[in-house]
Amino acid sequence: MVVYGVLAGTAASLVAVLIPWLPTSASEEMDRIAFTFWFTTVICIAIFAIVAAVILYCILKFRAAPDDERDGPPVHGHTGLEIAWTAVPAVLVTAISVVSAIVLAKNDDAGENPLRIGVTAQQFAWSFEYPAEEGAEPLRAGELVLPVGRKVKLTLHARDVIHSFWVPEFGQKSDAVPGIETTLVITPKRVGSYAVVCTELCGLGHATMRAPVSVVAEQDYEGFLTRLASGPGDGQQGTTGEEIFASAGCGSCHAFEPAGSDAQVGPPLDDLTGAAEGAGLELEEFLRESIVDPDERVASGFQAGVMPKTYDRTLTDEQLDALVQYLVDGG
Amino acid sequence: MTELHHTHQPGAHAVHGHEPPPHRGVRRLTGPGYLRALWMTALFGALGFGIVVFFRWLGGYEPLLQWDVLSVVSFMTAAPLGFLAGLGSFDYWVYYVSGRPTRPEDHSGHGARSWHDYFRVNTDHKVIGVQYLVTVFVFFILGGLAAMLFRAELAQPDLQFVDGQAYNGLISMHAALMIFLFIIPAFAGLANFAVPLMLGATDMAFPRLNALSFCLLPIAGLMLVASFLAPGGAFASGWTAYPPLSTEAPMGQIFFNMGVQWAGASSIMTALNFLVTIITMRAPGMTFWRMPLLVWANFTTSLLVVIATPFIAASQFFVMFDRIMHTNFFTVAEGGYVLGYQHIFWFYSHPAVYIMMLPGFGIISEVIAVFSRKPVFGYRLMALSLMAILVLGFSVWAHHMFVAGMAPWLRVPMMVTSMIIAVPTGVKVFSWLATMWEGRLRFGTPMLFALGFLSMFVLGGLSGIFLASVPIDIHASDTYFVVAHIHYVLFGGSVFTIFAGIYYWFPKMTGRMYSERLGKLHFWLTFIGFNGTFFPMHYVGLRGMPRRVADYAAEFGNWNLVMTVFSFLLGVSTVVFFYNMILSWARGPVAEGNPWRALTLEWQVSSPPPVFNFDEIPQVVGGPYEYGVPGARHAVLHSAAATTEVRTEEVVR
Repeated sequence: MVVYGVLAGTAASLVAVLIPWLPTSASEEMDRIAFTFWFTTVICIAIFAIVAAVILYCILKFRAAPDDERDGPPVHGHTGLEIAWTAVPAVLVTAISVVSAIVLAKNDDAGENPLRIGVTAQQFAWSFEYPAEEGAEPLRAGELVLPVGRKVKLTLHARDVIHSFWVPEFGQKSDAVPGIETTLVITPKRVGSYAVVCTELCGLGHATMRAPVSVVAEQDYEGFLTRLASGPGDGQQGTTGEEIFASAGCGSCHAFEPAGSDAQVGPPLDDLTGAAEGAGLELEEFLRESIVDPDERVASGFQAGVMPKTYDRTLTDEQLDALVQYLVDGG
Repeated sequence: MTELHHTHQPGAHAVHGHEPPPHRGVRRLTGPGYLRALWMTALFGALGFGIVVFFRWLGGYEPLLQWDVLSVVSFMTAAPLGFLAGLGSFDYWVYYVSGRPTRPEDHSGHGARSWHDYFRVNTDHKVIGVQYLVTVFVFFILGGLAAMLFRAELAQPDLQFVDGQAYNGLISMHAALMIFLFIIPAFAGLANFAVPLMLGATDMAFPRLNALSFCLLPIAGLMLVASFLAPGGAFASGWTAYPPLSTEAPMGQIFFNMGVQWAGASSIMTALNFLVTIITMRAPGMTFWRMPLLVWANFTTSLLVVIATPFIAASQFFVMFDRIMHTNFFTVAEGGYVLGYQHIFWFYSHPAVYIMMLPGFGIISEVIAVFSRKPVFGYRLMALSLMAILVLGFSVWAHHMFVAGMAPWLRVPMMVTSMIIAVPTGVKVFSWLATMWEGRLRFGTPMLFALGFLSMFVLGGLSGIFLASVPIDIHASDTYFVVAHIHYVLFGGSVFTIFAGIYYWFPKMTGRMYSERLGKLHFWLTFIGFNGTFFPMHYVGLRGMPRRVADYAAEFGNWNLVMTVFSFLLGVSTVVFFYNMILSWARGPVAEGNPWRALTLEWQVSSPPPVFNFDEIPQVVGGPYEYGVPGARHAVLHSAAATTEVRTEEVVR
């Protein structure tokens, strides 16, 4: 009996230890989550080992012979045992609850003066808003760049439907919900490149709704902000057609050779001359209309109502021009 | 659906065998039945259509043919009502209201003498139970095929077979069918068959209501499946259907909104029927503390259904009203509150997890006691733990929303209640283990599935502890870890118990034995296929693969291929199951009344049982699991023909 328990426990522990269950941590919050994870795992392995041992023991020792018609002993219960297996699990889950609550409080604590970055989610792209000097317009970019070792408080918004912000190596996750503001605290501790993954089903492009994340040294972060601020134009999601194509999330749904995207949610953008002729419009005019009012004309084989109708608000006229020119040149 | 009292006097059902005279000529069109259902479906559908068009014309609304509204009113409300009216569901009321003589329940709709009778409206709980089970397995096949299609898509990164819309439609359909048209009604079917027999009752309290509950089910199922034909494709916002995605989705979403209403109405009616049956129709001497645990389980489940199901009905109505009536429950620009949906939805859908689990607990208690030849260990605590889960089950819903942006203070209390619910669940697991301890175990197919359940459900329960812990859940929420967890609970848990129950009562339902060899083959294929499919999901989820994605990072490619291969093995295992069931039902060896030598009442009558279950209402004199107790009896049946005595043999040690 004990042998089976030890065997089952060892097997489960090996599975737990030999397989790298969690991604390599890149934030202090993930370290604490990993601690909670392993704390819970130890308790669960013990419970699993007991249950597995009893099942195995019963199967091997109490198997009735085919011609054995007898009944087992008429045991109806045992008050002591019943109290024990009510009380012991209750204590164990309380312990897990306490550890979890402490970790949660620490992971939620943004400290005195965190770096505040705004996150905006929309179908199917992320954009990030960095603090600028007083009086200046906030700086926007399609990638998330964080200085290593500094507490960051993200403030999440959604433009259309619910999305969810998750960087697996950071551990922390929060939905971005239309109409309310949610927050998330992250303290990056490892320089490197990661990805934001949308984890809340948000429509056809959900699987490809990702954004690059870099954790960099403090001075590189300052350099990044300076580049953002000194960039020509107002800094809204980039200025060249290529940048806008990337930051507005076009590539999440549309295949476009020059941008290297091959998504199949929406119609491919590589050769639209035919479609424009079919609509009786100049190519530029056709592209502009399709971006601003996508449901006006829907390519055959695709549905209306899928592409966001928000681009006339989120893109400036100059950006729209640049994007159209980019598509005309590339296509 | 008012029913007359069931008399408990022997011989009161002598009327059985007198079929109602078959309708002829025009009467065939006007009498209740499929023919009338056909034209009344068309008539009601047309009426609904006409009313909408007329009022839109009257009000000058454009366009005249607004298909969202037309499908809700005409296709999904009026036409199904016409179908039910045609079948005769409302005849009693119509006769009563119009002052014509009503036809009291004369039990002429009871029993099945040939397989044709299973395709007629029947008021016999045993026939309805089988009708439920056959129907739900049709939807099980459809839901399973949907799963195999999207598993094929997931075998490799990038998109190969289906596009984003089709993929999202398939996952949503898979979940909706498996939950609302397989697991929940499969338990309703098994309980329909077993509970009245176990209580020593002649039928359910309301046989005609029972028939109506069943009739709603195919309607709900067809509605969900038909959404594939809707312009824009099937509903594709997941079975959780969070707004604003669902309020803005193509028309297929309406089919989900309405399908859930019909399935929900079916479950509520069945639950009421169970409650009244269990409270009022127990045989003399059958006190609550002498009821088999399956009955206890269905009692608590029915309470859950009655209290919780209206909440999902409301949540789906809100979504639909936002679309067709331009209400603004979830329209942020108009002051809507999108998290409100999640609170209402999970206030049903977490208890729904227990609706899908407690009846399985009941089945396992029966199977383990009988196949271990021992009394259930701690019977009263087992019953009380069901009640504890029922109560606690209503206090944990927001653990589905730890990352949803709800009030932060709610997280810790909801974590604590979610953790505590592991305690009564643990009590059940340990009690089952103790029941097996020193028993004389027999490993028939039902017992194999019970053991499979026990081991898999423990894993599902333990991963549930991880998800209850807020910090871990923040990392694991909405990833494949959650997918793994729910499949360990609902497949390793519920589906294994459904299989255990089907094999256990198969001889009683059909009067024939299934093939043990095929049953065991089915078990091992299922067990291996199940673990191979779902265990790796824990890993890919924690490593960073979100759920509900058609495309994923290349690093998860190999694991997904493994899962896909094993999921096809699961598909194969199902073929073995159906082959066994169909062949054994047609040609299996004739089963005796009590092949498992069980003590509960359903096994004390012939297989299949007489039309009215008991020739004489039994007198219950003791507990249901007195295995090994010398001279103990559960009930006395004086004229229990063709069956063995209810007395257990003496214990020999």
